[in-house]
Amino acid sequence: MRGLHVYILLAVAAVALACVDQLNSYWMHVAIIAMFYGILAASWSLLAGYAGLFSLGHMAFASVGGYTSALLVKWYGIPIPLGMAAGIAMCCLLGGVVGWVCLRMSGPYLAIFTLGFAEIIRITFSTEDDVTAGMAGLHTEPLFHTVSRLPYFYTSFALLAASLAIMGWIVRSRWGLFLRAIREDEQAAAASGIAVARFRILVFAIASGFAGLAGVFYAHYIPILTPSLGGLDLMAVLVVMTVIGGMERLPTAVGGAFAVEFLLELLREYGQWRLPIFGVILLVTMRFARNGLLTPIWLRFVRLGEPRSAAPPVARDAGQEDSRA
Amino acid sequence: MSWDYLFIQSANGAVIGVIYALIAVGVTLIFSILKIVNFAHGDLYMLGGYCAYYVITLFGVPPLAAMFVSMMALFVLAIILERTLLTPLYSDATERKDEYGLIVTFGLAFFLRNMAIIVFGPFPLKPPSFVPGVVRIGNLIVTNDRLFAGVVGIALILALLYFMQRTIWGQALDAVSQSRESAAIVGINTQRFNSFAFGVGAALAAAAGALIAPIFSLAPDMGVLPNIQAYVIVILGGMGSVVGSILAGVVLGETESLFTAFLPDATRALAYTNAFGVLVLMAVLIFRPTGLFGRRHLRME
Amino acid sequence: MSGGVELVRAAGLSKHFGGIFANDAVEFTVEEGDLIGLIGPNGSGKTTLINMLTGHLMPDGGEVILRGRRVSGRPAHFFAAMGVARTFQLTQLFGRMTVLENMLVPGLTRPHSHWHAVEKRARDYLEFLNLAQVASLNAKNLSGGQQRLLELGRCLMLDPAVLFLDEPFAGVHPQLRDELLKRIQELHQSGRTFVVVDHDMESILRISRRLVVMARGRKIADGPPDAVRTDQAVLAAYAGL
Repeated sequence: MRGLHVYILLAVAAVALACVDQLNSYWMHVAIIAMFYGILAASWSLLAGYAGLFSLGHMAFASVGGYTSALLVKWYGIPIPLGMAAGIAMCCLLGGVVGWVCLRMSGPYLAIFTLGFAEIIRITFSTEDDVTAGMAGLHTEPLFHTVSRLPYFYTSFALLAASLAIMGWIVRSRWGLFLRAIREDEQAAAASGIAVARFRILVFAIASGFAGLAGVFYAHYIPILTPSLGGLDLMAVLVVMTVIGGMERLPTAVGGAFAVEFLLELLREYGQWRLPIFGVILLVTMRFARNGLLTPIWLRFVRLGEPRSAAPPVARDAGQEDSRA
Repeated sequence: MSWDYLFIQSANGAVIGVIYALIAVGVTLIFSILKIVNFAHGDLYMLGGYCAYYVITLFGVPPLAAMFVSMMALFVLAIILERTLLTPLYSDATERKDEYGLIVTFGLAFFLRNMAIIVFGPFPLKPPSFVPGVVRIGNLIVTNDRLFAGVVGIALILALLYFMQRTIWGQALDAVSQSRESAAIVGINTQRFNSFAFGVGAALAAAAGALIAPIFSLAPDMGVLPNIQAYVIVILGGMGSVVGSILAGVVLGETESLFTAFLPDATRALAYTNAFGVLVLMAVLIFRPTGLFGRRHLRME
Repeated sequence: MSGGVELVRAAGLSKHFGGIFANDAVEFTVEEGDLIGLIGPNGSGKTTLINMLTGHLMPDGGEVILRGRRVSGRPAHFFAAMGVARTFQLTQLFGRMTVLENMLVPGLTRPHSHWHAVEKRARDYLEFLNLAQVASLNAKNLSGGQQRLLELGRCLMLDPAVLFLDEPFAGVHPQLRDELLKRIQELHQSGRTFVVVDHDMESILRISRRLVVMARGRKIADGPPDAVRTDQAVLAAYAGL
């Protein structure tokens, strides 16, 4: 059966939704955070994996979105969804600007620039504490006034599903091809008729918008917001998650986020050791399985329903990639 | 604003500048020769500082000697890291080498920083002074350590420049950093060379860490900002230009200190000093995406 | 010369790098139906000229005129959309995308294009170029000659009026080179205009109806092959290498 893997995923999702109230509050929180990272990992994968723009400013956009929404709600008393929309819009705009500014920058320069951008945001939010409450933490309006985390779970699930639906549609469309072409060879892409500048700006705006989405959700879920949300430490964790999973595909990026987040919780007794351990896993993955640890699993999974005779012609390259859905 | 205060700030700025120069020269060498931006450089600087600290406190080695021990230790460590992690950069089978270098050094930085928190503890440590006491000039006080750091730093830089002009290995470093192809033609074994270059870069960073430790003390995240400053300097001074990096390092150190001196609000000044370098960096990259003196486009083709 | 519609014109194009004029006031017209061989010693500025005529390089002086419109300074994708296609000296393909995807990309940039129709056209061209059996392979796994054919295919997907081929025969197996020449001739016969840069004189002379010679940034000859081959200035330029 074609597309068997889609049905399996839908079934798993349905079961998860049905059983979720069995989870205790703690694991529900872990699941919610995993989905938060899932949105971030998928959107970073769009930027870095598909378009090849290795931005270290992704978490900074989440931070910008979160603070924008939290502060607007706090000062003007607007309903939270409106604040969230404003936060996302702000991130799209700022992301587009950053994308425009970075147009002539490549690889490492882009990384350094976005790293600088993230640091500026963090330092500013930290220092201007009469506005943002700085490192002490900004108290935010919660999205739901319930004891249970269940509404947050459903919300984050819906947001993740919607994000993946939109981003998935983008990458399967011709724009997905164009982004990959830009990554492969910008000059050839331009010679093929792709308006490279326009796409680079757009993908930055879109990816940053999704980062903002994650950020605004986070801001109204976790009661306190600090500038470290946009800091290098969390950005590094995001890179670790996405690269270990597989940065070139949305499902593997999200899978990486889920896997690392759950493992971080399962291994809680190892305390500080967890992070260096994942650092090593990242290095080993890059050295020996650069496509990501989940990629071979995903590729097999996608072919599950297909009869064996439908296998593509034998590729000389062991890393042969199939449709990048 | 008194002249005294300005003078102190300038002196501080000069010392910091020399330290920056040491770090930046390492980044430049590594970039020119291995063609990667080393995101872990700040953490090598951090390890150098801690290594000196432990050599002093555990083995009673005098501080200056400890600095040299630290340089050697980091030299060796860097070679090991290069052999294990960076060899794919030399193989044609590796694609998107830029990205590989980015992610691997970024991951290495993440690993080193978090290991440091575990091994050394999160609280700041301060090694004993190189030269205790202070110097009085009129009614100004400058700590001996700062003077010492400045002097030793300059000496190391001069030694490096001499090494690169006068010795075979050094001249080879200079040659390869300017043109990889001609170096290969002349018969320099580029593989071994890369290890050597990475080691030299790390050793310089270690020296910087050891020199700054008695002044500003050690912490596991002390390398994060110097890392960024190093990029500022290297991009300002020209990727691939050792002399450019030295000059830019000193200029940045001075400018930061003077910037702090002129900002009225003290707490803001300190925080934004760090941002200052970053803003300069971003401004340069916007107007000159290949850096001020960018000799080569930053690609591995 | 066919005396037909003027497609691309270089009007006094100049480009300098440092103090050197890579192109010095070059005047050059491509008319519909032409098959022009653009030759000259190394460093004569041929690739620079092509880069300017296809939007990959901004001229320092003069104008690029496409179908009567001044287009200097427009980005490369604009030229592609206007029907100007080019290949590169070192084949630049989308290495980790499949052969079919490489073909789809330019096709899908055309406005009002539908995926099914574009895919059909792509597969038809792959048949024409003898690449149908490798359609699912990643482009980087093709042989050198196959890669050149694929680059030609990518150009065709733009439905171009004029194709600039930059050293298409360099390092190509003689057998494949003949195949390439045949394809170019067939495409020319069905109405496409070509400007081919190469050092392989034999191939160039086999297909060109008109030769343009450049030396040290200037155009020094422009005419039917027989005339150009005996032109004194041309001989001097090559001899003076």
